Amino acid sequence: MSIKNIKKAVLAVILAVISFVSLIPFWLMFSMSTYKSEMIFQNNPLIPSNFFSENLKTIFASNFVQSYGNSLLVSLVSTVVGVLVCAMVGYGMNAYNFRLKKALGNFVIMTMMVPSQIGIIGYMIEMRVVNLNNTLWPMMFTWFASGFGAYWMISFVKGALPMELVESARIDGANEIQIFGKIVIPCIRPGLLTLCLLIFLWAWNNYMIPLVFINKQDNYTIPIFVKSLASAYRTDYGAQLAGLFLATIPLLILFICGSKSFIKGLTAGAVKG
Amino acid sequence: MKTKSKNIKYTVFWPTVFLAPFCIFFFLFNFFPILYSFYMSFLDWNGYSTKTFIGLDNYVSIFTKDTVFWKSMWNTVRIGIVGFPISIILGLLLANLLSNLKKFRNTLQTVNFLPYITTPVAIGMIFTFIFEQHVGILNRLIEACGGKAINFLGSAKYAPFAIAFMIIWKCTGYYMAMYLAGITSISEDIYEAARIDGANGVQMFFQITVPLLRSVTSFVVITSAIYALQLFDEPNLLFTNQSSSTVGGPSQSCLTMVWNFYNQAFGGNPRMGYASALSCVLFLIIVVVSLVGLKLMNRKEED
Repeated sequence: MSIKNIKKAVLAVILAVISFVSLIPFWLMFSMSTYKSEMIFQNNPLIPSNFFSENLKTIFASNFVQSYGNSLLVSLVSTVVGVLVCAMVGYGMNAYNFRLKKALGNFVIMTMMVPSQIGIIGYMIEMRVVNLNNTLWPMMFTWFASGFGAYWMISFVKGALPMELVESARIDGANEIQIFGKIVIPCIRPGLLTLCLLIFLWAWNNYMIPLVFINKQDNYTIPIFVKSLASAYRTDYGAQLAGLFLATIPLLILFICGSKSFIKGLTAGAVKG
Repeated sequence: MKTKSKNIKYTVFWPTVFLAPFCIFFFLFNFFPILYSFYMSFLDWNGYSTKTFIGLDNYVSIFTKDTVFWKSMWNTVRIGIVGFPISIILGLLLANLLSNLKKFRNTLQTVNFLPYITTPVAIGMIFTFIFEQHVGILNRLIEACGGKAINFLGSAKYAPFAIAFMIIWKCTGYYMAMYLAGITSISEDIYEAARIDGANGVQMFFQITVPLLRSVTSFVVITSAIYALQLFDEPNLLFTNQSSSTVGGPSQSCLTMVWNFYNQAFGGNPRMGYASALSCVLFLIIVVVSLVGLKLMNRKEED
């Protein structure tokens, strides 16, 4: 065996071990969700059992469907509005010269540093005052002005949008809204996709804000729904995990389908960022 | 005359249209709440009874009397310093390995990104099952190898490391994706030239890849420092899933700054004013860390 082959084999083993470690907890989530709670530790939980459909029945009997719908609604609205607002910042900061441009650029960087959890008490009281604290809105609003997204879109637009194209469209008499919709959006599509995936992921998995805001069943999102299964007279681990497994599926599909464009979008942002 | 009106249109009107939504949303949902929290930090208030103005008393007690605050700060720093550097370095190495791969690259990339998309609630549960003392998988493995079971989640010595391990498991894939994106944007010509000069893989990694990924590294380091200072989900979920939920884990060894804040604000004995003061101190710490990081980042870019 030549040195090159040994090197290759070592590399393959390292990658296999790392990937195995990455996959194990993920696999455990699925295989444990096929057990009756009391049986999980009596057997080897790495091998699936036959209780999956029973666990599904349990979660569908409580308000799983509504929680799932809430999670979807919250994540979709957050993603659409958040990404659109960030794309507008990206275009606005690259296409014009105005007086406060430099200050605004620094402001956007600062917003990236401002953690949304810090103001949560003030946020809660604000929402209570405008009577939105019992709705799904508080969970969406926090994504409307994503500092990370704005910062990232500014550098992405800089790299991906040829300004000559915008100039020539202006000469042709297109207004700025038309230019934004017909030229800018198609040019920055990979970046938009990547940001969509990230904001959807973060909104879907958000834990602290729902924990603070949700106080009635109708508004449960998936994480809170799953936690609520534990506060019943017994903790139904099997059912909890079945719910979590179903909750991971949309993300799994999104990231498997989008994995190529996800890295592509990150790449274009990373050149500058 | 015409050029002037056009100028105003493009230097005032359109920039305002495109930037206003972000600024308005940011003010309404991020900045105003923080300002309000700042105001509340001067109050003694439990969330429903009357508010009493007590000036700087909350801050004075944080810095002079509150040992839990300092402990939570130390816990956060300890978990962060173990977890994040390891996961950033692992992410970089993994990205480097994957970028040289011709086959399976996409698959491995997706597989290693999976932990990052797993819901924190699930991560908390699964790691409880892995680290549990009597039936946990890790301990059964240790026992099968002839060792003695370790109470990972019950001892203040091991619990922070369990959290650090969770972070490494979760975040490595994210950093891998960031670095992989950075490596893809490095021109293949540079590597080709180095190869002709007789550089080996290790040399190329340290002489080319690492220096050229500087901007990615500074971005990743700053954002992860901010994230680390806000650590809440992982420790909270690891220790509130068990039937005996304890605040902060064994001897509060996993009580992070944000968990401490959350517990003061929304726990059994709410102290909104005090918690607001805690959050303002935390805000200040994060801003200082970010500014220092930003300074370093800018200096590096000028080089």
